Amino acid sequence: MKTTIPIIVAFLAGALLVVSFFINPDKIFIGDASEVARIWMTIISGFALVLGVVSIVRVNARAVKRKSEGWFYKLMTLLSVFAIAIPGILPITKTSVGGSIFYSIFPESWSPLLGTGANSIYDWLFNYIDAPMMETMFAMLAFYIASAAYRAFRARNAEATLLLLTALLVMLWRVPMGEAFLRLFSDNLPGYINTYVMGGFNVAVQRGIIIGAALGAASMSLRIILGIERTYMGR
Amino acid sequence: MDIWQKLNELDRRWIYFLMFLSILFPTIFVIKFPVELTPEAEQLYNAVEALPDSSVVMLTFDYYASAMAETEPMSIAALRHMWRKNMKIVTLTNIPLGGPTIAERITRQVAKEFGKVYGVDYVNLGYKANYVAVMHGLAGSIESIFPTDYSGTRLSELPLMQKVKTYADIKFLYCVADNATADYWISIVNAQYGLPVGAGVTAVMAPKMYAFVEAGQMTGLLGGMKGAAEYEKLVGAPGSATRGMDAQSMAHFLIIFLVMVGNLGFFLTKKKRKV
Repeated sequence: MKTTIPIIVAFLAGALLVVSFFINPDKIFIGDASEVARIWMTIISGFALVLGVVSIVRVNARAVKRKSEGWFYKLMTLLSVFAIAIPGILPITKTSVGGSIFYSIFPESWSPLLGTGANSIYDWLFNYIDAPMMETMFAMLAFYIASAAYRAFRARNAEATLLLLTALLVMLWRVPMGEAFLRLFSDNLPGYINTYVMGGFNVAVQRGIIIGAALGAASMSLRIILGIERTYMGR
Repeated sequence: MDIWQKLNELDRRWIYFLMFLSILFPTIFVIKFPVELTPEAEQLYNAVEALPDSSVVMLTFDYYASAMAETEPMSIAALRHMWRKNMKIVTLTNIPLGGPTIAERITRQVAKEFGKVYGVDYVNLGYKANYVAVMHGLAGSIESIFPTDYSGTRLSELPLMQKVKTYADIKFLYCVADNATADYWISIVNAQYGLPVGAGVTAVMAPKMYAFVEAGQMTGLLGGMKGAAEYEKLVGAPGSATRGMDAQSMAHFLIIFLVMVGNLGFFLTKKKRKV
């Protein structure tokens, strides 16, 4: 039963969307069922986010309780989750659900601080703590890439040499100073790199990858719809 | 130990320090190399320019805060371009972490410059989970997927959304993304519903997007901070991407220099080992 019902649900949901894509839904009995299914998908995905929050709280709370390795960071994770989530989901106005009860306990002047609007606590936490931290982490890549390029980007064989030369040309072409440098050799050089390297060799390879990945995704979807692939059930 | 061996074993902190200097120097002393335009950026600009004034366009903010250095200038330049033509803009995001906040902050900031009114000139739909279902669902009815806007106002109460019900009411989709949602806007919204799609993406994503541009499935492309700088130049409003070009140029030159020195050291020490 635990296996059969999910397989039937997966088959019906998958088959419905496949049929509605290939056959005009108005001509067959399914009507707007595929549209309804898509609305359901957004709702179910919303619940999946809630499930994610429950999971992160359970895992981290257990580690904090047991004081296992790195428990302090896990505590910070938990505090961060609640600090950003609670002000964001609390009632915004007195007329919203539960709003009147909330504002009978807390002052109404708190109203602009709640919710996710401009100048709310959520907004402040995101713009001044979360966003700068994410940007800093990403910016640090420049340092690691420079170090990795120095140590690992070697012309060890013909393929690596070709890759290295192409990378150097594209790196020069992608910045104004590099373009000016390339123009010292020929005015058309930046244009050639765009046309032949990016629009030629690159596109040929990318198309192969995109088509290959799409075929893989299609065959995997078929396996799930037909109940052959069951790893999504943890089996 | 000769100099090449020493260079081969160079402490990585020296490389970090050089990278720091290469970014700091052009930030203080502005060089301002001219930004050259690529045909892909011009194609995107021309596509927006060719739309009739007051057209309804959809602008997506599909990026995390981590990629804002590259993508935020694209969004700002796109908004300036669209509002210069008095277009009506519907924004949304497929990013749960901060996507709606970024969209809200940037649109309000640029709206102030142009004196645009929320609900009449632009609407922020916010975020809904499962972007594939959202993209398909918007074709049937925007209101069925987003019954309210980001701030909780019913769409039926917003003047702009009374005339925008599905993709059929939208002339162009301008996607700014740092992840795979750009692929889906093309393969679902352009390929299946026929809405023209143009995109601004991070530099690492741009090579893949060339395949869609060449196939005619995408109307124009901005790649990374350079793409953003190109669009700023086209719109005639240089911003943070144009300012960042000098620092990026120096960083690229430093990496090229390091790769060359690294390879020279590799070959010379290899030769010595053989001898």
